[in-house]
Amino acid sequence: MIRFADVTVTYDGAVTPTLTGVDVTVPEGELVLVVGPTGSGKSTLLKTVNGLVPHFTGGTLHGRVVVADRDTALNPPRELADAVGYVAQDPQQGFVTDSVEDELAYTMESLAVAPDVMRRRVEDTLDLLGLTSLRHRPLRSLSGGERQRVAIGSVLTAHPRVLVLDEPTSALDPQAAEEVLAAVQRLVHDLGLTVVMSEHRLERVVQYADRVLLLRPGGQVVDYPDPAEAMAVSPLAPAVVDLGRLAGWQPLPLSIRDARRHAAGLREQLADAAPPPAPPPSAAAAVAQVDGVTAGYRDVSVLREVSVQVQPRDIVAVMGRNGAGKSTLLSLIAGQQAPQRGTVRVAGHDPTGLQGPGLIRTVGFVPQEPGDLLWSESVGQECRAADVDAGAPPGTTWTLFHDLRPDVAEATHPGDLSEGTRLTLALAVMLAGDPQVLLLDEPTRGLDYCAKEQLAQLLRRRAEKGRAVVIATHDVELVAQVCTRMVMLADGDVVLDTDSRSGAVSSPAFAPQVAKVMAPVPLLTVAEVRDVLPQEVPS
Amino acid sequence: MTAPAASPVAGSDRPLRLAWRSAAVLTLVSLIGLAMFVWPLFVSAQSDLAHSADAPLLFAVVLALLVVVLANEVMSGQLDAKALALLGVLAAAAAALRPLGSGVTGFQPMFVVLILGGRALGPGFGFCLGLVGMFASALLTGGVGPWLPFQMLGAAWVGMGAGLLPRCGGRLEVALLAGYGVVSAVLYGFLLNLWFWPFLVTGDAGVAFVPGDALSANLGRFLAFCLVTSLGFDIPRAIGNVVLILVLGGPALRAIRRATRKAHFGAVATFADQNGGGDSTAPASASARSSAR
Amino acid sequence: MTEPPRLLHPGAWWLWALGLATAAARTTNPLLLLLIAAVAGLVVAERRVPGPWSRSYTAFLKFGLIVIAVRVGLEFVFGGTGLGVVAVELPSVPLPSWLAGLTLGGPVTWDGLLGALFEGLRLAVILICIGAANSLVNPSRLLRLVPAALYEAGVAVVVSMTLAPVLITDIDRLRRARRLRGRSTRGPRAWGQMALPAFSGALDRSVALAASMDSRGYGRAGDQPARVRHLNTALVVAGLIGVLLGLYGLLTGGTPGSPGSGLFGWPVLLAGAALAAAGSLLAGRRVTRTHYRPDPWRLPEWLVAVSGLIPAAVFVALGANPELTGPASPPGWPPLPLVPALAVLVAALPAVVAPRVPSDTAAEREAVPA
Repeated sequence: MIRFADVTVTYDGAVTPTLTGVDVTVPEGELVLVVGPTGSGKSTLLKTVNGLVPHFTGGTLHGRVVVADRDTALNPPRELADAVGYVAQDPQQGFVTDSVEDELAYTMESLAVAPDVMRRRVEDTLDLLGLTSLRHRPLRSLSGGERQRVAIGSVLTAHPRVLVLDEPTSALDPQAAEEVLAAVQRLVHDLGLTVVMSEHRLERVVQYADRVLLLRPGGQVVDYPDPAEAMAVSPLAPAVVDLGRLAGWQPLPLSIRDARRHAAGLREQLADAAPPPAPPPSAAAAVAQVDGVTAGYRDVSVLREVSVQVQPRDIVAVMGRNGAGKSTLLSLIAGQQAPQRGTVRVAGHDPTGLQGPGLIRTVGFVPQEPGDLLWSESVGQECRAADVDAGAPPGTTWTLFHDLRPDVAEATHPGDLSEGTRLTLALAVMLAGDPQVLLLDEPTRGLDYCAKEQLAQLLRRRAEKGRAVVIATHDVELVAQVCTRMVMLADGDVVLDTDSRSGAVSSPAFAPQVAKVMAPVPLLTVAEVRDVLPQEVPS
Repeated sequence: MTAPAASPVAGSDRPLRLAWRSAAVLTLVSLIGLAMFVWPLFVSAQSDLAHSADAPLLFAVVLALLVVVLANEVMSGQLDAKALALLGVLAAAAAALRPLGSGVTGFQPMFVVLILGGRALGPGFGFCLGLVGMFASALLTGGVGPWLPFQMLGAAWVGMGAGLLPRCGGRLEVALLAGYGVVSAVLYGFLLNLWFWPFLVTGDAGVAFVPGDALSANLGRFLAFCLVTSLGFDIPRAIGNVVLILVLGGPALRAIRRATRKAHFGAVATFADQNGGGDSTAPASASARSSAR
Repeated sequence: MTEPPRLLHPGAWWLWALGLATAAARTTNPLLLLLIAAVAGLVVAERRVPGPWSRSYTAFLKFGLIVIAVRVGLEFVFGGTGLGVVAVELPSVPLPSWLAGLTLGGPVTWDGLLGALFEGLRLAVILICIGAANSLVNPSRLLRLVPAALYEAGVAVVVSMTLAPVLITDIDRLRRARRLRGRSTRGPRAWGQMALPAFSGALDRSVALAASMDSRGYGRAGDQPARVRHLNTALVVAGLIGVLLGLYGLLTGGTPGSPGSGLFGWPVLLAGAALAAAGSLLAGRRVTRTHYRPDPWRLPEWLVAVSGLIPAAVFVALGANPELTGPASPPGWPPLPLVPALAVLVAALPAVVAPRVPSDTAAEREAVPA
């Protein structure tokens, strides 16, 4: 279905090619996963499939890409619209119209599909992707998962034979990701569509893949018809694969189910392994205190009678469904919104009354879109502005940022940074004031494993410094890695407030992959397993 | 208004270049539009127009038709996806600013976007930006009416004029644009008032236009009309826009130019077939016309 | 009429409103003008589409009142010709000669005042008719009338209408983020610093949007033979020159009866415009594109359009009839001529014959944050 014949891509002005000598054939009806770290050329590879590279981006493509018997050299993307459906990383940025139905029809309008056929295909697509109840909704009012499904639907109406998805679930919460992946699965199995997708969150998709294309440094692509083989050598792997590699399981398990079958022996061996001791509960006075707070918008209460305390050295995970009130809790602590009833105190102050340097030294808040905090024209300018705002000595922010990302030049425009780097910059900006409490809203959206690891280290250092961190997140792996406490919100109430270890083992919804495989042994991460494992086990 | 001949300055920052025939149509429609603006000053006493109040309405219908013809001529087949997306985004910025300025005739903050866009992206693009931005904002604010074709044409001239200003850089450029902002604000307000004048005041009021009267006499009455009706609003607005351009002009121009660079207008896609099939090169942002090959 | 609820074709509403506006432009009789405004108001009350733009009628009504006030105000400031019964005597100040030798103040007559009032009222009613159209049609549906020839422009307008509200919410988000960095969120400087990131964010978005449109078939327009292209340009240019000649004729020419005006003037102007439009249509045939769920044009559309055009036709046919002129000298109660009044009442028919607005549209529109 797709044939890459010795493809090398060099962008204009680049010295080294982004992709070199890609020679891969993808048969019809496969779900192909493209794996590689940020900046390794995943997006470039995906964009060659419908000719966006090089028709749209410029650059030189050596070799040939033939998709559905059409050569991309002879067919620009618009002519391939009925053969390849391409959905970019942030689907919302690609929406042309403002309502679901119009968006689904837009591609067909461009392709001059007859009105009656168009109507039928829109109805089919609405059913196929479970969008029927949303048909008249404005696109702006949709949730992330709904948007992604509409974006997929909008290219499907052209009846392409290949679907290209760039990070379709990286920015989604688990439930929305589930919806999207279920839809993709249906397309592969029911319609025989060929799907090529990239994804950071391998744990979500790798078990469904029929084939993995692994991007090596230098732009080489290695084709693994068996995903397990790819995972055995991939520098990026989900926790379950890491566990399998550590224990030397063959074949390498990709799903919890497979891993549990392998793990019976390991569980027995480690049956009485004790988890690392939990840090003693902090005796210090709470740095942030939420007391009997009811909050919301007009007559809708998002939080009801909620009380939460955050001690210094705490890394608190706030979990719960979308709309459970996580973001509201964070913006209460940051003083972005005032409670309707109850009190909020941060380091003894009412946060809504704080402003200027006083606010920066007390609370730092990195919102879901870290880019919102950045408005200068270069990284250097941004850092200098942050120093001034926080009253910190010149160079503070730049040093913070540069330590984490030494490869980024001072003159870079913040808009040109990758997702992870932008988050790092926003963090550096917030940390310039060394706030007592650092708040993060969904910080791991769109981060790959390396960036996540770096974030985890940074947060641990904050805690060691005696500062507190509160994270609103869906990412159970991150919680298992760094958090000390877990607060779960549901429908405006606190339904769980405990240390993160007991939280993680109490419910499968919060259990990281390793805990699911090892249960009832209370180990949460691969690192913990490695620590308790006797040395003679092959690793 | 002068006609923009196909821009002599070729560069990758011009997402839309006017072909000679687009320029010809643009000139003709501009002449017609200008005539439909200034007719009260030149109309003869015997004319049909002098004695009926529906000239502005009929002119509006005809001009609406001609603006459609013009938009088709200037844009159709000339805008690739990148240029179109940029046009849509800038027009959205203009439309989002529309509610900040009120009324039909006056100069608005949205014109700052038209001026900056026209400046950064060339006269042809500036012209399209004026047309599209004004139309979209009218749809968004429910301000569709017989004045719309006139507003669109006026806004398009403002955008185009910004693109035709001489090249210079740095602070001088921003100052130039600020000056242009004042001039275009006054001219735009003047023209739209002129359109509204016979609509509002006919008959024998002191400031009514008298068909066939000497140009200077009518002009004097018209100036008096402007003085008492709109000048009080227009001047503060013009000053506000100058301030806006002086403060935001530099960074906003840099932002547009950065986006233009990122979009790689005129980037060339090269397919080098290593199996000896020969090189084939296609302009990456080839216009829609050169699609099938 | 038992037409199931649906949205009427936007073109029908606009024809109806323009018809009413044309009728209003032809009269200064206050009773007829008020009748037209009432008819427009009735139809809006019965058939408007819920949503922010349904307030247009009221907005335009207010605008109309301002216009009346300005018009009457002008009468006070510049006085009139001084004919008729003097109402108020204001002190007079002559203006410099370059201002056409006008005089500020002076005697204000009843004739002048009433004339100004009725003229202002006429314009206000025209505005109200336009406002009615804006209330009755969701403006974004007007885009469906954009001819195929205007494919690119149409898409650009759609894109900008989609993005404009997004930009406004972006600025709101940035305002909240700004506080987090300890900066003030008030004052023009702050607004400028918030507008810029929103602006450059939107510009960044344009590249992603372009990629999406390119992969979804935007610009797949068929090639056009050079011959057709030349013919199209020739037609358009010839048509435009015709319009110019027509305009020249109109500006200089005599009344319809006088020699010469048959050649120049409206006929030439309209023929030229038609020729240019035909040339454009020819170009439009190159675009291979279809419309999703095109609006049908059925009996109710005909009824609505015709009911609006009837008053226009009647008023135009009556010409400079004294019954259509408001009483100015001497002031008195205006007559209510039967035929024009009945014609205006015909335009109230859409309140009954137009299909009701479907309720799901109502729900959908309310879901949109205003």
